[in-house]
Amino acid sequence: MTRRRGTLGLLLLVAAGLAGLAAVTSSPAAAGVAPAAQPQADPANDECLACHAAPGQTLLLPSGELLSISLAAEAFDSSVHGREGLACVACHPGNVEFPHSPVTAQTRREYVLQRYTVCADCHADKYDATLDSVHQRALAGGNLEAAVCTDCHGAHDVAAIGETGRATIPQTCERCHSAIYQAYRDSVHGAALIDEGNPDVPTCVDCHGVHAVQGPSTESFHLFSPTICARCHADPELMTRYGLSTEILETYVADFHGTTVLLFEKLAPDQETNKPVCIDCHGVHDIQRVDDPDSTVIQENLLVTCRRCHPDATANFPSAWLGHYPPDPQHAPLVYYVNVFYRVFIPVVIGGMIVFVGSDIIRRILNRRREARPERPRSVPAGKSRDTP
Amino acid sequence: MSEAPRRYLRFRRPDRAEHIILLSTFTLLAITGLVQKFAEAGLSQAIISVLGGIETTRSIHHVAAVVLMLEAIFHLGTVSYKVFVRRTRLDMLPALADASRAWAAFLYNLGLRRHPPQEGRYTFAEKAEYFAVVWGTVLMAVTGFMMWNPISTTRFLPGQVIPAAKAAHGYEAILAALAIIIWHMYHVHVRRFNRSMFTGHLKEDEMLEEHPLELADIKAGLAERPVDPKAVARRLRVFVPIYAVAAGLLLAGVYAFVTFEQTAITTLPEPVDVPVFVPLTPTPLPTLVPTAIRAATATPVAGATQSATTVITTWRQDIGPLIVPQCGTCHSEEGRMAGLDLTSYAGALQGGVSGPAIVPGDPDASLLVQRQLAGDHPGQLSTEELERVIAWIEAGAAE
Repeated sequence: MTRRRGTLGLLLLVAAGLAGLAAVTSSPAAAGVAPAAQPQADPANDECLACHAAPGQTLLLPSGELLSISLAAEAFDSSVHGREGLACVACHPGNVEFPHSPVTAQTRREYVLQRYTVCADCHADKYDATLDSVHQRALAGGNLEAAVCTDCHGAHDVAAIGETGRATIPQTCERCHSAIYQAYRDSVHGAALIDEGNPDVPTCVDCHGVHAVQGPSTESFHLFSPTICARCHADPELMTRYGLSTEILETYVADFHGTTVLLFEKLAPDQETNKPVCIDCHGVHDIQRVDDPDSTVIQENLLVTCRRCHPDATANFPSAWLGHYPPDPQHAPLVYYVNVFYRVFIPVVIGGMIVFVGSDIIRRILNRRREARPERPRSVPAGKSRDTP
Repeated sequence: MSEAPRRYLRFRRPDRAEHIILLSTFTLLAITGLVQKFAEAGLSQAIISVLGGIETTRSIHHVAAVVLMLEAIFHLGTVSYKVFVRRTRLDMLPALADASRAWAAFLYNLGLRRHPPQEGRYTFAEKAEYFAVVWGTVLMAVTGFMMWNPISTTRFLPGQVIPAAKAAHGYEAILAALAIIIWHMYHVHVRRFNRSMFTGHLKEDEMLEEHPLELADIKAGLAERPVDPKAVARRLRVFVPIYAVAAGLLLAGVYAFVTFEQTAITTLPEPVDVPVFVPLTPTPLPTLVPTAIRAATATPVAGATQSATTVITTWRQDIGPLIVPQCGTCHSEEGRMAGLDLTSYAGALQGGVSGPAIVPGDPDASLLVQRQLAGDHPGQLSTEELERVIAWIEAGAAE
């Protein structure tokens, strides 16, 4: 008795996930269930739920992890797939028959990685896009934690795009990138999204892309990144709401840093340059308003930021940068008036030259014609007579 | 009348050499500079690509700038030699008379004047160009220094000076390039191809048209002042050391120009260390493990014993109603999955293809118990239900 009780206890431990069939289900299709050996039509979801609707069912995997095999019918029914009437076996084709094909995964993660490729059956374009992503590259490189479809979208509770609100996007990325999320959460963009629900600010995917999310540590991403910022910051409609300059890209590209970065991006996108892009001065996920005391580019902090690359810079040096605004008489009078001077001076000088050269050309043509007529030798070169003594 | 066409020496070898240096550095500087100013243009990018990228383009620009500065120092020497040692006339300097000659030439072109103005050794057009080259070179050197050494410059001047210098440098480049294309090209290449800067000489008719006063002076023997060799030698003894010192200082200035400061680091800036993969603590799976363990260790022991002693559990009364609805879907008389029919007591005892589902008195040998304890059977009894079944089998599995 005691011995058996011990064995029983152990066995019960093994079956620890068991919680019981609270609601005894009797599937409508139950009477027609054919023996496993015979080929059969795809079972209806009710047939699957006859067993899987019971909560707390688990499989014990060789790794010692428990794999939940229970599913709340409402969760699936309210998902976008449930609403579309997708069959369970559409995603679980190995479970059409019973007994199901055995689970070969050693770990829960391995089970996910075996299963997620089924998404490609319907979403081939999205799936193909992920093949170029940094996540897939990490996965191929042996990092099994790298995100796959279901890690972001969920499996049975997939929501339609836009259904869950924009804040869900960073909160999804947060699951793996929580430190970056915290930085974003406190940034001007993240705070506006999370606290105010502001739809204008970028979420993770607006800068990093969605399925083909790129690694931000490549040089080509670094060189391209100003174009990403400019998508919003050069949009007049968007920027007028916040009173921001829309000339950030022009003023940047016109300057030494931006010119270099532009040329590197166009001519050698994989080559490294130490010239800064937007994020090198403004910060990345933790970017703040330029008048925030913590901003890296507020006047008080600018010298520190400049010194990252210009260690000898002194107090006046940062003001060599005009701050994304075209020079005007108030903020940069010297630059403004140099521009004004040359915009007048060049047309006057060059215009004067053109007028004189034009008059000279006409004169020489007229003189040549006149020389062709021997009866009027008026314009013999005036070497012998001087107008001035 | 039958004399051979005479040639007149216009530029000596050093002058011509200076012109070659000037034209090559100017062209290089204009190309490598303007492509930076108009970096967004496709043509600029093509040129930069051919030159080997923006960093190489900048290096070429810097080298050409240094060569031009060295040439300027040399030119200072040749000019001051001519002026102070040989006492040549300063006929290269523009004067008010040049402005009136330019006006007269314009009026002549318009037909408002009978004759063109008479020019001497240097025409007003040449003087204007010389003045532009000197002025432009100085301005480019000063603004170039500021851009090359922005930290040192802003130590003494407001930061705004740097973008102002950049603006002036760029506009001045446009002005110089346009002036060369319009003024220089027209006067010495289009109007009349003046080869004297390369051959050194002008022919008589060219002299007659372009420099009639100089031609007259030459013919009258007044062009060159008589030079006393002793005086030249005496002046040279003063000139050479002074120029040597001045040139030395200027060369040191050029060296300083290039090496004044290290504006920026040449490596990549220290990367900001961002921990990328920091997963949130995963939420535990909502299993009922703790409950199951409690059920296995505490309640069922007492419960099973109690139920076995106080109430006799039977298939008909207790176990049948528990098993049939849950297992009978598959293991029915008709379905007989795995050959098993669990809808009747007899079927349960008889079992399926693997053997009897119920062995009275021996739960461990009962296949039903074995399958259910594994926990992964599609129709799964709860722990409490299974406990009741086990207790019933232990008690002999009464019908």
